[in-house]
Amino acid sequence: MYVSYRWLGRHIDLEGISPEQLCEDLTLSTAEVEGIEKFAPHLSAVRVGKVETRVPHPDADKLSVCTVDIGEEESLNIVCGAPNVDAGQKVAVATVGTVLPGDFKIKKSKIRGVESRGMICSVRELELGEDHDGIWVLPEEAEIGQPVADAVGLNDWVIEIDNKSLTHRPDLWGHRGIAAEIAAIYSRPLKPLSFDWPEWGDGAPYPIRIETPACSRYIGLQIDGAKATESPDWLKGLLLAVGQRSIDCLVDLSNFVMLDLGQPNHTFDRHALDSDGIAIRMAREGEQMTTLDGEERDLQPSDLLICSGDRPVALAGIMGGEGSKVGDTTDALLLEIATFAPAVVRRTSSRLGLRTDASARFEKSLDPTLPQRAGAHFARLLRELQPDVRFPAPPTDVGEWTDPAHTLTLRPEQVRRELGKAIPDEEITSILKRLGFGVEKSEAGYAVAVPSSRSTKDVHLDRDLVEEVGRIYRYGNIEEKFMRADITPPPKDPRRHLVRALQDRLAGAGRFHETLSYSFVHDALLEKLGMLDLPHVRIVNPVAHGEERIRRSVAPSLLAGLETNRRLLDDVRLFEVGKGYLPDPEDPNREPQELHLAGLVWASAPAGAGARFDAHAFNRLQGVVTDLLDHLEAAETHWRPAPAPPLWAHPAKALEAVCTESGDVLAVVAELDPGLHAGLGLSGEQASEVAVAEVSIDALLKAPQRGSRYKTLARYPGIKLDVAIALPETTAAAEVHSAIKKAGKGSVADAELFDLYRGDSVGAGRKSLAYHVTLQSEKKTLTEKDEQKFLKRFEALVGELGGELRNG
Amino acid sequence: MSDPESGDAGNDSSAPTLAEAEAKILACESSEALKEVEREYVGKQGVVARLLASIPDAPPEERPEVGKQANILKKGVQQAIQARQQGLADARVATEREGQGFDPSLPPPRPQRGSLHPLTQVTRELEDLFQSMGYRILDGPEIETDYYNFEALNIPADHPARDSHDTFFCEGDGHLVLRTHTSPVQIRALENLEPPLRVVIPGKVFRHESTDASHDHTFHQMEGLVVDRDISVAHLIGAMKTLLRGIFDRDLEVRLRPGYFPFVEPGFELDARCPFCEEGCRVCKRTRWIELLPCGLVHPNVLRAGGVDPEEWGAFAFGLGLSRLVMLRHAIDDVRHLLGGDIRFLEQF
Repeated sequence: MYVSYRWLGRHIDLEGISPEQLCEDLTLSTAEVEGIEKFAPHLSAVRVGKVETRVPHPDADKLSVCTVDIGEEESLNIVCGAPNVDAGQKVAVATVGTVLPGDFKIKKSKIRGVESRGMICSVRELELGEDHDGIWVLPEEAEIGQPVADAVGLNDWVIEIDNKSLTHRPDLWGHRGIAAEIAAIYSRPLKPLSFDWPEWGDGAPYPIRIETPACSRYIGLQIDGAKATESPDWLKGLLLAVGQRSIDCLVDLSNFVMLDLGQPNHTFDRHALDSDGIAIRMAREGEQMTTLDGEERDLQPSDLLICSGDRPVALAGIMGGEGSKVGDTTDALLLEIATFAPAVVRRTSSRLGLRTDASARFEKSLDPTLPQRAGAHFARLLRELQPDVRFPAPPTDVGEWTDPAHTLTLRPEQVRRELGKAIPDEEITSILKRLGFGVEKSEAGYAVAVPSSRSTKDVHLDRDLVEEVGRIYRYGNIEEKFMRADITPPPKDPRRHLVRALQDRLAGAGRFHETLSYSFVHDALLEKLGMLDLPHVRIVNPVAHGEERIRRSVAPSLLAGLETNRRLLDDVRLFEVGKGYLPDPEDPNREPQELHLAGLVWASAPAGAGARFDAHAFNRLQGVVTDLLDHLEAAETHWRPAPAPPLWAHPAKALEAVCTESGDVLAVVAELDPGLHAGLGLSGEQASEVAVAEVSIDALLKAPQRGSRYKTLARYPGIKLDVAIALPETTAAAEVHSAIKKAGKGSVADAELFDLYRGDSVGAGRKSLAYHVTLQSEKKTLTEKDEQKFLKRFEALVGELGGELRNG
Repeated sequence: MSDPESGDAGNDSSAPTLAEAEAKILACESSEALKEVEREYVGKQGVVARLLASIPDAPPEERPEVGKQANILKKGVQQAIQARQQGLADARVATEREGQGFDPSLPPPRPQRGSLHPLTQVTRELEDLFQSMGYRILDGPEIETDYYNFEALNIPADHPARDSHDTFFCEGDGHLVLRTHTSPVQIRALENLEPPLRVVIPGKVFRHESTDASHDHTFHQMEGLVVDRDISVAHLIGAMKTLLRGIFDRDLEVRLRPGYFPFVEPGFELDARCPFCEEGCRVCKRTRWIELLPCGLVHPNVLRAGGVDPEEWGAFAFGLGLSRLVMLRHAIDDVRHLLGGDIRFLEQF
């Protein structure tokens, strides 16, 4: 909200308080000032001049040559194109070097051969209005040489207050409210303002009928003989300072009263209203109306309407209807000042996306006693501007409202305890009084009368009074204190512990980069991954079309940016710890199931033909996950083909790690379905091997742990030997591994597959596996004899598998 | 015995043989050459061996002398070889020490590494800081109910404060939302834990905002809640100063000013002196203050919603923008990098 420093001066004496100081104090005691700016700063550079002579330009019909006295030794020669310029006028002169709005710098120039040393300005050139038909003629009293801002009283500062910090303060949505805060801060009195109605005629009060509790008070005042004339300069100037363009004196006055007291109001043309008066009712299903902005609005039964007869003439508290707009020729008006239910106004304005200055105020819960004061204020000001206006009848004042003013009990001890500062009683009561609260000593402490302006929303609890005292006393005057309490170490947090260990392992030994992603997954990506039809939690108001789904798992997020990263790097290793959400299959309103997951992706340039059998992204990622599960001390796990691989997975190359003891699936590792590569931009130059894994943190937390135990160091040396076996392609490596173990009869300390070979020397449909084997005993040093026995047993077992030992 | 050379050696079993051997040894420039000389003298077929083999052929009275000479020769050669070996080794070390061809400017190969996200790093640092002060770390759902996100936090339906929350609503009857702050976990903490309590809640939050370099619709926060007897604004100030000292490693001047959040009363914005400048910079928008910590005494309605009696217990709460802190710490100029997943960004941390 914009506040004019000069406008505040109508309500409180600001002598000795600079605009900057005021902003600082408002920020520290009341609400956040977002900025302060000099109003129309160029007006301080433009000076009052008096046109001494005016002669036609010798070479141009429409130009005049003037000499202008600006209070300096020499008068200025200025060429002027305005038809209305004349000798004797006081005018606004921009001298050479002055910068006008639009970065327009005045230079010395020659216009058709005549030298011109400045510019006589129009209202529009000074951004004070639209008028560009001629120059701005200043009042006769304007002092020659004075800055124009001073001469016409437009020396002002515009203060911008953060609306959010006024959410709970309906009383601060007008200048008088802000002035009341200043009064409390600086202990100065507010200037008096009369809220008595001007005298009215004895005509019939205007018929007004309230048919819904959504309107608690409605005052209607009939005004005759008002004219939509141009507003006086003071009014235009103040409105301009807070960013409101002047329309005409009736519109301007309506705005002025709202910005002065915070009470929106509306004027209707009585000629456009039916004779049976105004009715306030809720809209009916299917009803429509056209608002002032020309938009046709579909109404709902939750919308509050002002009607003439049965015809809607205004969307209550938000915007008037087009039909009853006050035109230039209107001379019979009805002024509306009312109190509408904040929630009703808010719902309608939110639904229609129609936020107005009025709706912003109504939704804050306005004081129901305010309409009378605002109505009187309007009427008095109008009469000042147009002494001929008449109020033919007393105002109609209907509605069932109660004065919200109430009394709270204040215990000064509570104030001191909650603020943590020994503020004496006198200071507490003085602050409250300055803020307009009534304070009287009572048995329990003080009875504090909360004025109606603070009662609708803000001040209801004794705690609210603590805030009032604290902010005016200034929080900066409260010294810090430290809590004294028994500190017991917080209980262990297994999930956090596990997540940290996982992150550290992956970022450390795993050499993965941790990423964090948005929870939204784009439809286009899901479609490519074949996941679009899975049930997702969906947002009704996404930031962009196609981004309404919330991810079920982390993997899709990791696949989204793969193309970009692969373009830059041969080897992309990313992981993310995050959440996935599965909607409740029965009821979308039930809280979705939350999954704690870690996703991993390894994408790399394809391993060449000569690469080792286990150099592929899939093998490497499986290795990383195996290492991870081991590092996290999961009890024994084994890998098995995933019975239901994720939709993005290669249908065959998908494995899951299962806790052998509990059967829980801890992780899945899969190659990305080769059919998806092209769609994800991973073909051509970015052709990649991509493996993806998902680790369930939930499952890991539940799964049995193996604990960490030291293994005795071997006391006897072992025998290292290499064995190679040729066997049918269909025989799994695991069977060979078991055969090695079995042949060793407990003496196999290690068996590592180091080569997988297919080729002519082993024959079609066969493969060769080669292992480094270590035989070792805890009881003795093994000998060559032991090795021979092992080989003999192994050969027999390999034979059973349809294979044979290869030599060398 | 027909070999003239061996014949020489065999026949001339006098002192010059050792001197000759020592000269040969000294001339050796490698351990291979030394091996060669060693073989020649003390090998199986070497000079010494032959000398010893010649003993039976010698007259009996010379035999002891021949044996003695052979031993002297053997020892002498062995000693000389050992000395020469040491000399050669010393020379090698000396040469290596010269460091010829070493280019101190040669760039070293760097180990491949992974990285932790900067948000993870800052979050951990804060978690550790809070844990050291007895705070417990909690987690809560990112998809929340209207009740926890708003209602229980003293933001009833149709409250204008809901505007500033720019909420994402889930499909359905509208009561599921993406949490707009980590504050709902305050209620869950109050419900589930017994006071006195100190908790912090880091997490992801969502606001329906148009994005630019300084705004994103998804960001990270850390919420703090302390419930104890006799909690005052003075305690809150003390706790916040301690927190800032933990974050910035020094004392920063702070100011507390009114701020409106329906779940606290009184509510504050805590500004800290800009840690990056002396007289105004881009970060503090030339004000020399940076808005860091919204905070306040927990509203009695909120305590009540969490089943805690506000007559018996007091509480304060605060919020920290983790994303903002990360940006401040690393001078990151675009918030969207944080969740952008670009390795060029991630690998810098």
